[in-house]
Amino acid sequence: MPAIERVEVEGHIIDSLILAKVLDLIVAAGADYRVIDVEIGRTQADASRAVIDITADDEASLDPLLETLQVHGVNRTAQNDATLVASGRDGVLPEGFYSTTNLPTSVRVDGHWRPVENPEMDCGLVVADDGVRTVPMHRVRAGDLVVVGHDGVRVESVAKVRGASPFEFMASEVSSEKPKALLVAQVADRIRAAHERGAKVLTVCGPAVVHTGAAPDLARLVRDGWVDVLFAGNGFATHDMESNVLGTSLGVSVDAGLPTEHGHSNHLRVINEVRRCGSIAAAVERGYVSGGVMYECVRKPIPFVLAGSIRDDGPLPDVHADVVEAVDTMRMHVADVGVTLMLASTLHAIAVGNILPAWVETFCVDINQAVVTKLADRGSHQALGIVTDIGLFVRDLTEQLCP
Amino acid sequence: MCPPAHFGVLYEINPWMHQEVTVDLDRAQQQWDDLVRTIESAGASVEVLEPVKGLPDLVFTANAGVVNGDQFVPTRFRHRERAAEVPHDIEWFEAHGYRVDELPPDVIHEGAGDALPFGDVLVSGYRWRSDARSHAALSRLTGAPVRTVELLDDRLYHLDITFCPLDDRRAMACLAAWDRYGATVVQELVPELLELELDEALAFTANSIVIGTTVVMPHCPPRVGRRLEGWGFDVVVADVSEFLKAGGGVRCLTLALDVVLGG
Repeated sequence: MPAIERVEVEGHIIDSLILAKVLDLIVAAGADYRVIDVEIGRTQADASRAVIDITADDEASLDPLLETLQVHGVNRTAQNDATLVASGRDGVLPEGFYSTTNLPTSVRVDGHWRPVENPEMDCGLVVADDGVRTVPMHRVRAGDLVVVGHDGVRVESVAKVRGASPFEFMASEVSSEKPKALLVAQVADRIRAAHERGAKVLTVCGPAVVHTGAAPDLARLVRDGWVDVLFAGNGFATHDMESNVLGTSLGVSVDAGLPTEHGHSNHLRVINEVRRCGSIAAAVERGYVSGGVMYECVRKPIPFVLAGSIRDDGPLPDVHADVVEAVDTMRMHVADVGVTLMLASTLHAIAVGNILPAWVETFCVDINQAVVTKLADRGSHQALGIVTDIGLFVRDLTEQLCP
Repeated sequence: MCPPAHFGVLYEINPWMHQEVTVDLDRAQQQWDDLVRTIESAGASVEVLEPVKGLPDLVFTANAGVVNGDQFVPTRFRHRERAAEVPHDIEWFEAHGYRVDELPPDVIHEGAGDALPFGDVLVSGYRWRSDARSHAALSRLTGAPVRTVELLDDRLYHLDITFCPLDDRRAMACLAAWDRYGATVVQELVPELLELELDEALAFTANSIVIGTTVVMPHCPPRVGRRLEGWGFDVVVADVSEFLKAGGGVRCLTLALDVVLGG
């Protein structure tokens, strides 16, 4: 578990090269630092003061470094431990609970900073012997020790998260006017980089992926191993299988782009047959579904989570009709995700954005700029919006990754 | 200065001190009297602090504190053996009209032994007898910018055994006794630096005082003497061998009262 400590050093630390010396000592010890603040004295006689966060691999390497630094006038900043209050009942956080962000967060317990294992926004923080975790309101249990107030909680800035990776070209703005080929190539690079470091790639798909004819390309990405987890709703899975079984998406021929006779009921017939099979996997096994994204997910296999809503037809047997349970299931799959592609999905994109830590590189691709900005407005500041047709985007991405 | 009536090596708080070594008190008194005469003949006058029984190191007045005009910042000693000196130092300075400003209780700093002015700044050492945090506190109290130097060798435990400002352009320093950051800072600070070898510093060459153009030294290697004379200084070597038994030389036996920090 990485260990962090905030320290300060004061005096004529610039002119005396003390700051340079301290930073060199930190690096020489194999630790990392981040200068949080430097107040430079205005006149030669004024002292300067630097506040530095030191991160070491673990407590065992941090403590001797802090002892060494203390000799050079570097001291832990006065910090209080976090206030912990036991939850009084299941599913209810104590009054005044600390409400989380999706940023890297640490909590001070018994004089030591403990990193939060799974940053997620809009949760409580529960401190246990084996670590500090974010816990959504409904999952808190009576007796859980919950952080209350802001004392002893430290959040790293978004800037740090950006600076930590070569994910700099985004700056969270929507990119309707950037060269698309370049953006697609960069997304492909980030996906390759994520896989190289062992991180997963998550795609969140809306039905427009199928409507625009991008499903075969996405299926290829799944088949070739570029997608590790898939989140979607009833609609996406239904139309993906509908297009495979009946050649239409919501009754419109995917090949010809023309409505087919009685096509409006096609998706209902597909849902009905899959329900008869008992699951999507069973429908694949029986040969009812013989291609497409869901087929490749079953065959690969990769996990998928289908979350329901009140407008769903059917729904498909795999759909989690209980939305709280659906998000909990999604949470189980986001731990190692490094890159997320939000493909033409509004509600699912926002829902997934809510449960992702800020360090997950998130690309939100939609023809509608409002979708893309909405995601950032809901707190997923790390999301890069790419305004383009989803069919073209997925095809270009597939060409990059599956040449 | 404080006469050595009660001087001796009664405890060991630096690598030079060995309790089995006997101090010849008559000889110490003779050396001290000679040093006073040397200082006075160089043009300075000497004020005397009354010796106190049981405080053998009170003779080393450099460690009384930091003088800045009419301000006196008393030392906070690292070792409790010397802590009892402080009230006597404060008493003397108050009786002589000084304003006494004390360092915060959670830092240690051993006065002029670890703080020597050069130009506009105060060069201050840390590690063995003063801590690094005291430098910011000292700067706040005196208004003087501090340049911090880490002392690496416990035999050269005070700054004034490694550094001797000569005038506004020149100084002697043993850079090998310092960390490279501190050494770099002082090299930038001092236009003409006479660098001392480690063995020269260990012979207390730098523990010297300057009165006008006279440099009074416990020891002077010929090479250093030639360089100082080339710069126009007169070198006087004062025998303080009895005091070296306790790890103190000429500078340690004196505290300059005509210091105004910050230029």
